[in-house]
Amino acid sequence: MATVWRSQCAFARLLIGKIAQNPNNSPDLCTKLFQGPISVTSRNYSNYANSPFIERIKEQYEYDIIKNPPEWAYVERLLPFDTIPVVTPKENYPSGWIPPREEAVHLPYFVSRTKNHELPIYLNITYRGMRKITKIKKIEGDIWLLNDTLKAHLKETAGKYVETRVHELGKFIEVKGDYVNVIRNWAHSKGF
Amino acid sequence: MGSRQITEKSLSILRSLPRISVGNIRDNPGSKVTQKRGRGQHGGDKHGAGNKGSGQRQNYMRLGYETGNNPFYLRMPQEPYYRGHHHRREYPPLSLLQLQSLIDTDRIDVSLPVDLASIIKSGLYNFYPEQKQFGINLTDEGADIFAAKINIEVQWASEQVIAAVERNGGVITTAYYDPHSLFLLKNPKHFFKTGAAIPRRMIPPPDVIEYYTSAETRGYLADPEKISQERLKLSQKYGYELPQVENDSFYEMLCERKDPRQIFYGLEPGWVVNLKDKCILKPTDKELLRFYSS
Amino acid sequence: MTSVLINAFKRLNLSIRPQVKVISSSYSTAVTTANSLNVTQKEWKYPPLYTKPREVWIENLDTVEEKKLGLFELHPSVYAAMPRIDIIHRNFVWQTKYRWVSWAHTKTRAEVRGGGRKPWPQKGLGRARHGSIRSPLWRGGGVAHGPRSGKTHFFMLPFHLRIHGLTSMLSAKLAQDDLHVVNNLELPTDESNYLADLIENRNWGPSVLIIDDTDIAPRNITVATDSLPHVNIMPVYGLNVYSMLKHDTLVLTLAAAERIEERILHHLNAITTEQQREFKLSQV
Repeated sequence: MATVWRSQCAFARLLIGKIAQNPNNSPDLCTKLFQGPISVTSRNYSNYANSPFIERIKEQYEYDIIKNPPEWAYVERLLPFDTIPVVTPKENYPSGWIPPREEAVHLPYFVSRTKNHELPIYLNITYRGMRKITKIKKIEGDIWLLNDTLKAHLKETAGKYVETRVHELGKFIEVKGDYVNVIRNWAHSKGF
Repeated sequence: MGSRQITEKSLSILRSLPRISVGNIRDNPGSKVTQKRGRGQHGGDKHGAGNKGSGQRQNYMRLGYETGNNPFYLRMPQEPYYRGHHHRREYPPLSLLQLQSLIDTDRIDVSLPVDLASIIKSGLYNFYPEQKQFGINLTDEGADIFAAKINIEVQWASEQVIAAVERNGGVITTAYYDPHSLFLLKNPKHFFKTGAAIPRRMIPPPDVIEYYTSAETRGYLADPEKISQERLKLSQKYGYELPQVENDSFYEMLCERKDPRQIFYGLEPGWVVNLKDKCILKPTDKELLRFYSS
Repeated sequence: MTSVLINAFKRLNLSIRPQVKVISSSYSTAVTTANSLNVTQKEWKYPPLYTKPREVWIENLDTVEEKKLGLFELHPSVYAAMPRIDIIHRNFVWQTKYRWVSWAHTKTRAEVRGGGRKPWPQKGLGRARHGSIRSPLWRGGGVAHGPRSGKTHFFMLPFHLRIHGLTSMLSAKLAQDDLHVVNNLELPTDESNYLADLIENRNWGPSVLIIDDTDIAPRNITVATDSLPHVNIMPVYGLNVYSMLKHDTLVLTLAAAERIEERILHHLNAITTEQQREFKLSQV
């Protein structure tokens, strides 16, 4: 009988010890806590003999329930975006981001922005840096005319013939070589 | 224009073709390659594995083993740069240029104080608290072009970054969050859905107490008087005129700070947020109040 | 070689151009003949930039003869996307495979009855050495590497391929005149003959998929379609590539068309890192 009593005491102290550490600070634990000498606030007892026994377990704590509180604005700002926000027009963009222009829609070809409002121009590096391919995605309209214009522009700026590959169904053009900045500047000049 | 447009063209071709059904669709030719073992002259014999040895048996020597030589990686004395790396805190960088582009594309609202939660919310900053990442290290790339007046709270910042933010009339604070609160900051909606009360923020560990209490680094535990002195000092060092925060139209926003025990702006520890009924549960119990008041 | 191909493509374009014009002119004549016509100009959250919105007739179901009630605009990024047959096919394969559990089963040498005893001694008989009469080499023996039952073929198609599959399929249906928009699903009778006549009269394919934005369809149409196995009703959230492929004609209600548009546009413009993450069975 005595051993059973001792083991029960040990179990209770183990519980107290766990709560005293309060590992993740969660108040869920509080519902299982005890009132009286044993408090929610962490308290480490130096040994088993000094630690008090469980008196009463408090099941429920008192709460004020406030409907539509003024603090709800603080909650709302934490919630994720429904969709990616549309950029409001500003006077200048210090980061170097350039907004698309209206008149680009009237061109026979069009490169639409990504949903992150960036130009879909990417560099693919393969064969350990031996092959670099610039890819222009999300092309609409006359892709062949865009290809001709782009090729002429690249020949002018790079000073040599540049190979391209047109994928009509995939709506992209691949350019052999790293021409990301050249093409990005060209796209900005067209207003895409 | 009409049919020169690639989408219009393919849709108009489709008009004159039979109806798309289960019987006439297929994947692109060559999209699936079934691996086959060739026989005889079609890649048979050794199947590319070579004659005998490691090629056939896949018994590659362990990395760095030099068939009995004293290996290269053991030839020089030990240089323990990475000792205890798995215990170290990591602060993934965010440059001022990136921050400025987030602001330019309206991913971050600068009319509100900016903290870790709002930067993660933008969706363009990868943050993994489970990988011992402890918050943002704001780096000085793009310090020259940075032109936003913000009240920002980061976890680590250099002197140049502090100068770049304060030159534009902004306010910067460095603050520590324990891993548990970082998880809450990463996904507040997920936490609110659990229905648990907002916990307290823990105090920083001993090795960074100095960083977060010093006014030079704009620590959140530093004396505000000293911080304003340091702001002036830094402006004299870098040679810019310190804009007066007191006369600013955004004065209230710029003065907003979190309590050292607070995780979210405006929400105190101990509160339970109910997203469904749009209500907040605030504890009134004396014991809980004492616990959450730190 | 490439230039020859490109020229061929260019000639192809030119040959198609008049066809499109004919279609557009027939539309314009229809507009003039209709009297009480309401053209709804829509305010989109993400207005179409380059491609023009598609226009469809709003039709009715309360008479057998088709009445044009108005014109309705559809967003081009949903209803006039690039029709990628390969992506439609990948969606089809995914939908057939993710629910397929293969129950084909063979017995191994251990499971076939008998064969515990060595049939004859190892040496001295001049025969081949064997340890069991149920070895895979034997007639009536077990099967080596045969199919084992309960094999799932589950996999998850990447999120944006699923979205692109839906837009491709909807665009293809619209381009082939197999997509119809109706004002509502109210029928005058619950006779299935009426619906069959209507489908016959309007030259909709024999099989019709009707999509509404609510779970509960009106009584008449549910009773009428009950005995027609090739006419099916589905709520918006059940819309999928497989069903669209299986049915000849797709009939959307106005509300369903708008709801589909809204959901797909939302996914095309939202942060989708969560949905794009690698699928784990435990996440459901």
